[in-house]
Amino acid sequence: MTLEPLTRLDAPALSLEIDHQAVSVPAGTTVLRAAELAGVYVPSLCSHKELSPFGGCRLCTVEIEGARGYPLACSTLVADGMEVTTDTVALREMRQEILRLILSEHPSSCLLCGESDDCRRSLSTIRKAGVSTGCRSCPNDGDCELQQVVERVGISEIGYPVAYRGLEAEHDDPFYDRDYNLCILCGRCVRMCHEVRGASVLSFKYRGPRTLIGPAFGTSHLMAGCEFCGACVSVCPTGTLADKVSKWDGVPDGLETSTCPFCSLGCRVELAHKDGALSSVRAGHDVELNDGQLCVRGRFCLPEATHHHSRARQPMLRKGAYFRVASWDETLDEVAARLSGVAPDDVLMLVSGDLANEGLYAAQRFARVGLDGAGVDSTARDRLPGGPVFWSRLFALPISLEALAAADTVIVAGLDTRFSFSVAGVQVRRALRRGGRLVVVDARESNLARLADRWLRARPGDEARELAGLLADVRAGGEGAAGAEAVGGAAVGGEAGGGTLAIVIGPRVFDCPGAGELLPELEALATRQGVSILPLAHGANVRGALELGALAGVLPGPRPATGGALDLARLRAGHLPKVLYLVGESPFATRPDCELVIAQDLYLPPFEVDAFLPAASFVEAEGTLTSIEGRVQELRRVEHLAAGAVHGRALPDWQIFSDLAGRLGRPDLQYGDDAAVRAAIRAEAPGFAAEGDRRRRAMTPLAAGTAPVSAAAAGGRPQDGGSSVEADDGPVGRGRFVLVSEHSLLRHRGIDLAAVVEGLGELHLEEGVALNPDDLARLGVEPGGVVTVGLGGSDLVRVARPDSDCPRGAAYLVRDEAWVGPSRPVRVSIRAGDRSRAARPARRAPVAAAGPRAGDQGGGHGNDR
Amino acid sequence: MAAARSRLRSAAGPAAPDPWPTIMREFEGRPADLVPVLQRTQEAFGYLSPDSVRRVARWLKLSESDVFGVATFYAQFRFSPPGRHRLRVCLGTACHVKGGVQMLETLERRLAVEAGQTTPDGEYDLERVVCLGCCALAPVVTVDDAIYGQMSVLRLQGLLDEHAHA
Repeated sequence: MTLEPLTRLDAPALSLEIDHQAVSVPAGTTVLRAAELAGVYVPSLCSHKELSPFGGCRLCTVEIEGARGYPLACSTLVADGMEVTTDTVALREMRQEILRLILSEHPSSCLLCGESDDCRRSLSTIRKAGVSTGCRSCPNDGDCELQQVVERVGISEIGYPVAYRGLEAEHDDPFYDRDYNLCILCGRCVRMCHEVRGASVLSFKYRGPRTLIGPAFGTSHLMAGCEFCGACVSVCPTGTLADKVSKWDGVPDGLETSTCPFCSLGCRVELAHKDGALSSVRAGHDVELNDGQLCVRGRFCLPEATHHHSRARQPMLRKGAYFRVASWDETLDEVAARLSGVAPDDVLMLVSGDLANEGLYAAQRFARVGLDGAGVDSTARDRLPGGPVFWSRLFALPISLEALAAADTVIVAGLDTRFSFSVAGVQVRRALRRGGRLVVVDARESNLARLADRWLRARPGDEARELAGLLADVRAGGEGAAGAEAVGGAAVGGEAGGGTLAIVIGPRVFDCPGAGELLPELEALATRQGVSILPLAHGANVRGALELGALAGVLPGPRPATGGALDLARLRAGHLPKVLYLVGESPFATRPDCELVIAQDLYLPPFEVDAFLPAASFVEAEGTLTSIEGRVQELRRVEHLAAGAVHGRALPDWQIFSDLAGRLGRPDLQYGDDAAVRAAIRAEAPGFAAEGDRRRRAMTPLAAGTAPVSAAAAGGRPQDGGSSVEADDGPVGRGRFVLVSEHSLLRHRGIDLAAVVEGLGELHLEEGVALNPDDLARLGVEPGGVVTVGLGGSDLVRVARPDSDCPRGAAYLVRDEAWVGPSRPVRVSIRAGDRSRAARPARRAPVAAAGPRAGDQGGGHGNDR
Repeated sequence: MAAARSRLRSAAGPAAPDPWPTIMREFEGRPADLVPVLQRTQEAFGYLSPDSVRRVARWLKLSESDVFGVATFYAQFRFSPPGRHRLRVCLGTACHVKGGVQMLETLERRLAVEAGQTTPDGEYDLERVVCLGCCALAPVVTVDDAIYGQMSVLRLQGLLDEHAHA
């Protein structure tokens, strides 16, 4: 249907002449791309390197010797010996006329006004108009592709009457605004949504002069199933589509390439900053990683997550009844004094799997060495079900995101890529465009299941078993084996002509019974050529947490350790330490009954603590993150705001530990800068690419005999004793359901992103219990009603969310920070609930502690848009 | 079209069978079937409702936006229930010269709708067409399948009065 825009690397080279300049490009390249490679500028508004040729704007007309008329450079493929001329008087005049026609429907006073030069100097305040009519009220002003093209093509007046369409600007959806009065119908957003993202939310509607872009029947993008990936906003050459958060920031001061801190794919992002603060995020262009794509979190959530008014930016101390702002010196002195008097066995440090490598390493070293063997564990353990040994062996497999796009066969289990790991979804889509086959193993009708050649609909909670069976069949490759048939009967990874295979396993699968059986299958398949595996886990740096020893029983390297007296599992079983030091995570709804609770994070925890140490966010400190592929990638600091009452006094995690170590008389644990932490990591874990190495890297697995610290720590949580799905033989139906609980994808450090990012809150991604609408009707639950989930003696009352992706007989919910139920799928009874007994919404806003709320003084920060 | 209309009327009855199984048997369900599927759907229901578009999209593995985008490209598809009677005013060359515009304006004023719309009571669809092929009768107005030639404003008003009392 569309021309394949991706040229094959092995295509033969063709020679041609562009403007009398000899050029050699692979066959299948367009004339436009060849000109670009030769450094010849040909104006174009509709073409884009990631999209198929469209031929819509007609600005790229060129003259080709021997060709009739004026062909379009963007939709003409090069031929050997072609002679192309891109700049003649005729072409110039034609382009000017075409551009005038385009501008006759685009407010053009910002482009053609005779006063525009003076205006730029003196009149820059007419902004924030609801509707853009041109001039300075366009969000794209100064950073606009259309403005650039007008300048290059060189027009100074238009003779046509300007038709303003008078459409109402659309502000109702989260994250981005749309003003189709500025639209030039280049179709980039439509093609991006359709070809690259596979979402097809945007289409051309109607025709001729009434043509509009949008979803069917004028429904909102939210209702139409938009992923809010922002790819359409990024490719828009005009101000039609604009980020809500940064639309009035103007031209950024600069862009820094950094790493997205929200998940472990490690997408590259470009942080646009203005006046020393993060303004907006654009997708980075690493072809091995995200290649210009992001998900809703990476694209839109960073500025609000770091600038939210409830961000706690000052050190705070509890003195008697008061919880008040204190200086760093006072706070650190107090914390050090109280830590020094406690026996190591009474101290537990809980570290988030979202910290940078430097923070993770410094945290575990501070606990293990600085506090003479205090307990340390990480909530990353919850996100790595199966335990450190299991995951260290998974991380030793050939993990590759890039191989996904080139695979002949892709198997995806238990993953919906609309809002999480979207970039993996984009790669799957790319594989499909190249003619690959997609096999999906999922109980839910995920967005990928809809694209699949073969959708193996597993029973809810049985995805791991189903996948293991499929992989065993693939490995055996026998004639007629169900698995081999499912992947198209093709030999996979064989020596002679076997196709490449990519296996993507969503985080939910590892919670399913039988997940352990996957490992031997994967390890056996991984020995073959052309097999790549992508095991996914939530958390930005869970692999780093494992490699740098932030988990109990694991030392940096990773090497096995004899455990301390305390870990997360024992803590949950009720063995409370005297001192609990929470670093970037607070996995409790209420204060645990400890003598001293210290929190170090971006936001205050939802309960009272004795000391709060404000940590720097991902844009306020330099550091590195470890991706699921083992790439160690840098986080760049773009916020350079003066420390003080307004902008706060947050410090990087490693620096807080370093300062505390100094006060405890441990100069050996002090670090001068982040590079010094990395030097210490290099010394202790030689296999770890401490200095940052963006190449993929396999982990050295932990020895199989590594003793778990406590029995419960090996698998998951102590509450896991409940029967697994298949062990319970009660029938599903008549109020009996399989309850599948998932880890939140919106958790970042100690907070729920939906509570601080307004647009995410509007999406309601993780609220309540998702059930098939038919089941809800049978239960007699009204729209917006609640259900009661009978869970091991206690009842959970939650809002019911109709979700037609759910299979019948299954319920899905997201575990919140205070979740005490099992993490495996279980059988439960569900009945229509009593609204009066509904618990507080699972979503919590960041809570400021009691007492003077001086910590929120930073709320006046000028970037809280 | 008349057949479609009578089918529509019968579909409004209490015992109307669900036309979807029949429609779905007639096609293989490939995306390439989209336009014939939409035509068949409109034939069965008289128009393309949001629900029809959703069902077609799910069935053919397309997005609703794609289906809507294709459907709105063609003038033959409509997205609101058709009126009980279809008024067409010809504005072809001959009818235009002989005062077809006045016929259209008369109807627009009397029915308080614009060309292309349906009256709020669901009684009339008002459409403008370009040439019905009977230019000798210009200006021409049709009510359902009946053709009325050599119309004037007065005759048109009388025709509507008569029709309203029928």
